[in-house]
Amino acid sequence: MSLVNLSHVCSHLNNASKARLALTSINNTKLHLKLCLALQNDGLISSVVRGSRAPPPLHPILGTPSAVDESEGVEPVTQSNVASRRLWLGLKYWQSEPVLGKLTMVSKPTKRVNIDLAGLRRVIRGERSNSVEGLRSPGEALYISTDKGIMEARECVEKKVGGLVLCRVR
Amino acid sequence: MSLARPARCLFCTFSRATSAGPRVPSRQFHLSSIQLSDRKPKVPEINAPEGKTLEEVYRDLKLDDFKPYTEEEKAALKEEYTPEQIAAIEAGEAAIDPKDLHEQFRLRRDPMRLRYLDDLSSIEPGVDKHVRAPKTNSDYNATFKSDDDLMEDIVEYFVNAPEEPEPADLVRFLETNRVTHGKEENELNGHSAIAPNLLNEGETLEHMGSDIKERPRYRTPAGELTYLNPNEPTEQEKKLFQVTGYSRDYIKSLYVKDLVVRRVSNQTRLGKIPSMSVLAVAGNQRGLMGIGIGKSDEIIDACQQARARAIKNMRPVPRYEARTIFGDVKGKVGAVELELMHRPPGFGLRCQHLIFEMCRAAGIQDLAARVNRSRNPMNTVKAAYEALMSQRDPEEIARARGKKMVDVRGVYYAGVKIVPPLPKPGVAQGKP
Repeated sequence: MSLVNLSHVCSHLNNASKARLALTSINNTKLHLKLCLALQNDGLISSVVRGSRAPPPLHPILGTPSAVDESEGVEPVTQSNVASRRLWLGLKYWQSEPVLGKLTMVSKPTKRVNIDLAGLRRVIRGERSNSVEGLRSPGEALYISTDKGIMEARECVEKKVGGLVLCRVR
Repeated sequence: MSLARPARCLFCTFSRATSAGPRVPSRQFHLSSIQLSDRKPKVPEINAPEGKTLEEVYRDLKLDDFKPYTEEEKAALKEEYTPEQIAAIEAGEAAIDPKDLHEQFRLRRDPMRLRYLDDLSSIEPGVDKHVRAPKTNSDYNATFKSDDDLMEDIVEYFVNAPEEPEPADLVRFLETNRVTHGKEENELNGHSAIAPNLLNEGETLEHMGSDIKERPRYRTPAGELTYLNPNEPTEQEKKLFQVTGYSRDYIKSLYVKDLVVRRVSNQTRLGKIPSMSVLAVAGNQRGLMGIGIGKSDEIIDACQQARARAIKNMRPVPRYEARTIFGDVKGKVGAVELELMHRPPGFGLRCQHLIFEMCRAAGIQDLAARVNRSRNPMNTVKAAYEALMSQRDPEEIARARGKKMVDVRGVYYAGVKIVPPLPKPGVAQGKP
């Protein structure tokens, strides 16, 4: 679990949304993939597709690459091509503003921040817990890496798990 | 010899074509046929206009040309003109003898003649000189100075008089000192029986005579009579009504406050030129708020400008439950960085006075603020305005993410949105 690479991903996504890009790619790791799927689940990004260094073909109707593309088909990952795989993310915009506002790391590569269930309960109520600021703005989200996968803070409270605080979305 | 030359009859050597001007024995550099000089010019002469010129009309003028209208012509005229106009035409025809017209009709050749057709019946803005109201020395608002005013003049004269006053100075002062308030020309060279005024009081060029009503007078709070109506909006106010579309009562009910008043100066080669700069905030205490800056030499004028601009700039401020803001927002202008934080009901406005006034104008009741780095008053107000306007609407966020959103507070109170009672009118009319 490299937080250095995750920090790079956060910065890259911020830059890409400021440049109003529709499609961008990040390194293919299990951590990135799970975080991106969590982001997609919350409607912050439109698509997550594992492809080669060239961007995957666009879906004829959606206009973004699709993970289950019947017409083109997604290249399966094999031992020979796994090193060249990248994650292609479709970014969303609403009224010329990026839907994925600003991604900031909470844990740093030199300081990992863990939070327990009690702390998470305070955080989602908008209070501060140790070094983790509360979620106080509409649409703010915190992503936690837990035993049950990478989840949003509110989902963690539902499932009663704590974990490593990865990043915050404003 | 060009092949393009047309073949000619051998027996036709005496025709004009053969004897016409010199044939150029040079090479032809183009493929088109040679233009022979006996041809007609391609471009015909410009045809003379069909009608006659004025000169020709004048030259060919005969006494018989001036005949009364026939019945047919009269019928044609009736289609074009009204009966009154026809009557006028006939009266004109009857008044002028055709013989006179024949003998006296001349084309004008003098330098003052008109160079265009005009019957001079109307004033045309581009061509003709404007008709202006006559200038007058009269001042109908002139009043005689009271005894106190005259005493003040005398006191001022003695204060400013030189060390050793001469009698001539005093005489000059008494002769030249004014005895009325108002226009100076009115006193020095007003209208008199010898040079009466062209127009009486209240008369204009359009309205003259005895049906002029006397202008109403109004009593000021000090008890003096003036022509100024205290209930009538000033020019500035009228302009504001026009720009904003708000009524006078509505504008009076707004919460307006001057937040920052500064004396500023412009350094020129002539020295420092001071003026006043005012930042005002305006709001209806129900979600509309605006800020405006006014600058003028006079503080009162600057305040009026700033208030009018603040009212003009009023924009809706998003309010959660009509009491606080949506989420925490940040604003930055210059070195001022501030945060506004939403708070639970009954918390109050725990913030500095500038932000307090802005929130009061906008109708926000629960808020906390923190101003970091610089605390420059003007930039604080601007940054707070920016922060309040940068609030994000949760409905919009939900729509952008494609998620369903529920306000949990609303659900807690049986799905009813809580809206606090509107502020009392007495509070809304609070004026600085």
